[in-house]
Amino acid sequence: MALSLTVNGEQQSLDIEGDTPLLWVLRDELGLKGTKFGCGAGLCGACTVHLNGEPVRSCSTSVEAAVGGEITTIEGLAEDGQLHPLQEAWIAHGVPQCGYCQSGQIMSAAHLLATNPAPVRDDIVAAMTGNLCRCGTYSRIIAAVESVAGESLAYDAAEES
Amino acid sequence: MTMNRRDFLKVGAGTSGSLMLALSLPGCSGMPTGYTPETGKWKPDAWLEITDNDKIHFTLARVEMGQGTYTGLTTLIAEELEVDPEAITPRFAPVAPEYRNPFYKLQLTGGSTSISSSWEPLRRAGASARQMLILAAASVWQVEAAECVARQGHVYHPNGQDSMRYGQLAELASKQSIRDEVPLKPAAEWKYIGKQHGRLDARAKSTGNAVYGIDVELPGMVYGVVSRPPRYGARVRTFNEEEVRTMPGVLDVFAIERGVAIVADKYWRARKAQEALKAEWDNEDALSVSTDEVFASYRRAADDDPGDSERSEGDYEAAAGNAEKVFEAEYSQPYLAHATLEPMNATAWYRENRIEVWAPTQAPDLGRIAAARVTDLSPGDVTINTTFLGGGFGRRLTQDYVEEAAAVAYRVKKPVKVIWSREEDTQHDLYRPAMLHRMQAGLDGNRLTGWHHQIVGPQLLTWYVRNAAPAQYPWAPKFMYGTLGKIGLLAEGVATPKDMSAIEGAIEYPYNVDNIDIRHTHTDPGIPVTFWRSVGYSHNGFAVETFMDELAYEAGEDPYQFRRKLLAGQPRHLEVLDRAVSIADWDSPVPEGRGRGIALFKSFGTFVAQVVEAGVENGKIKVYKVACVLDCGQVVNPRIVEDQIEGGIVFGLTAAIYGEINFDKGKVRQSNFHDYQLMRQFELPEVTVDIVESTEAPTGVGEPGVPPVIPALGNALYALTGKRQRRLPLTADV
Repeated sequence: MALSLTVNGEQQSLDIEGDTPLLWVLRDELGLKGTKFGCGAGLCGACTVHLNGEPVRSCSTSVEAAVGGEITTIEGLAEDGQLHPLQEAWIAHGVPQCGYCQSGQIMSAAHLLATNPAPVRDDIVAAMTGNLCRCGTYSRIIAAVESVAGESLAYDAAEES
Repeated sequence: MTMNRRDFLKVGAGTSGSLMLALSLPGCSGMPTGYTPETGKWKPDAWLEITDNDKIHFTLARVEMGQGTYTGLTTLIAEELEVDPEAITPRFAPVAPEYRNPFYKLQLTGGSTSISSSWEPLRRAGASARQMLILAAASVWQVEAAECVARQGHVYHPNGQDSMRYGQLAELASKQSIRDEVPLKPAAEWKYIGKQHGRLDARAKSTGNAVYGIDVELPGMVYGVVSRPPRYGARVRTFNEEEVRTMPGVLDVFAIERGVAIVADKYWRARKAQEALKAEWDNEDALSVSTDEVFASYRRAADDDPGDSERSEGDYEAAAGNAEKVFEAEYSQPYLAHATLEPMNATAWYRENRIEVWAPTQAPDLGRIAAARVTDLSPGDVTINTTFLGGGFGRRLTQDYVEEAAAVAYRVKKPVKVIWSREEDTQHDLYRPAMLHRMQAGLDGNRLTGWHHQIVGPQLLTWYVRNAAPAQYPWAPKFMYGTLGKIGLLAEGVATPKDMSAIEGAIEYPYNVDNIDIRHTHTDPGIPVTFWRSVGYSHNGFAVETFMDELAYEAGEDPYQFRRKLLAGQPRHLEVLDRAVSIADWDSPVPEGRGRGIALFKSFGTFVAQVVEAGVENGKIKVYKVACVLDCGQVVNPRIVEDQIEGGIVFGLTAAIYGEINFDKGKVRQSNFHDYQLMRQFELPEVTVDIVESTEAPTGVGEPGVPPVIPALGNALYALTGKRQRRLPLTADV
């Protein structure tokens, strides 16, 4: 079926079965490979993207459920060539090990900061607990989010919705 | 390790005026160090390439799976080359004998050996290139080379003013020859080694740009999924081919050795078609055991066969006979899956007389054998392109997923990406073997007089040799692969390395006890097994360090002091132990509802002591603190060392609290992260990692964080509850 999506601010027209998970549409139809497949069941968070400003598991969200909505992926976090402050923090703190889960981690953290610009540690832990990291980068993730928390963010909830 | 300088340096002018420096890794002597492009028989050695426009490429022969080779090995080259590591672009190595890991004579990344095996040769490669650039500049300026200085990608004239860029010097440098060994920089002059700096792959991995195996994209690529029999070893008998063929997007459906492959134009269409597949399996050779039977068979084997003696000192039997008390305990550990977050996948493209594979693999030369095995090709016709790995942990040493992708590509003659689901990844893994340990000790008062450890379970070479043996002889015809595997097993410990996978960590028992008897009873229930982060140390650490804890209590001593007094003459063990105790404030009162446990374990050359503070909250095990001190010799990148050790602690705690794969009549019970759980952010304890400053040669860090944390947690729970847990995973039901 013909579908229309807005991904990272760009309108996209596709011809695909509506029950296809958004994940595979982003990756294979639109070439946005930064969003990862981890479990296919919404358990690990590697596929996290924003749909209308809310974090969703794209492996378990059908593409038709995203029609008409605004989707943001890891590739769309940067603005005017400037990385999102969280991405800069991830680099400065050397967060990634294998790195496979980190797009999803960053998308979860970006949503947290968009809705709560000055989270305390418990807020961060709660927001990040749905994202698994097999390498165990958890403490670096907390440190990176804390380093950004409270700063003014270019990418915020108002702009997203 | 010794190195012949003449073998080491092979210099030639590369295309477009670039300096290409080939180096031969130590341990590979006797292997030609050159490459003849005309014959295509040998690929290039490990290359450092400097182009005339100042691009510096470094070929990375140890894959990047999170452990930090991309940064660490580049740092070694950069230090001696006198450039910032950021100025170097690493690229993943193709398959070539020169890229073999000298410790294994295979091109694999494992055993926490990347830094230790590269420490000398990569610095020498950097130093030699630097010296050739200096010689080139000196010849231009007609000055003494010894008075020129290399710094930040330039060679400086003795006047301190004029300089030339490395790129300008590249072509001329390629014509220089070095007669004397170039001295390595003294540690005091290091700018990058041992200093705090970031990861070179952090940017790509924080922007979604790093390319993992699953991200490979080829023109006209199609997608494959494979339905494998629920019971390992079963074969497909029949399946509803016609019905599956009519599903939308399906291009082909066919049997391969490992199951039924479905190929479709889109991944999701392949998955939906798979739901329509009805296959009947021939279970004649299929696995039928359940986990309980595995342990029962281990106990029978232990009763029937005392096992091969792996270490014997003094006379344990006599010591036990004379001891006031003989103390016994039996420990067991379950099968464990790897659960790399990137599921198994590989992409392959078969064209006439060649196949190209893109794969996140820890062992590309074994991947070449695997792809050759299922096609009409020889290993030399197989190209393996290695990508970033979304986790390895030993899983990607075995090439079953490459073999499948090659078999599918051979049939469809199109580029095809085969992706495993999480359920498939969990249920068709090769597992950390379940193991049984029977321990005995003689105690006279508080004195430990004898130590007996019987390890019961399989060894891994049996499962690994299939592709590993042919990979060592890539010229061997395929009909010999079976024979090579058998010879590899028969010659184990003679012509091929002894398989330490069951006994490592047990035979290095460090405590000063006069009478020691350590044995391995080999028994293999037929469940596929392989290397899993920290391998034999992962289970021996739990058995040895839990039993030591039991003995301490039995002897009426503090677990720290009990260990300490048995470590005379072992300064590196003692230092990490003492420091961990100091950081954890061992003698301070333990907060209400918590217990404190300690463990000390050396693995992969690295000494690690850990103190865990844990309790039980809401019916679940809660780990509050882990204090860890390690001595891994010279540190190349302190932050990556900390990360590896902390990651190892999380990995070990995950196994201790959750890790369990069970078999029901040959089928794996667990399937996804709801029933094979990984530790999550909210469970992370406060972790302190302290690294002993050392100038000893560097040792491993990717794995040594794992083994001690498991017994340290068990010991902490014992301290709290007084109930000893001798099987894993640990439970809060106390």
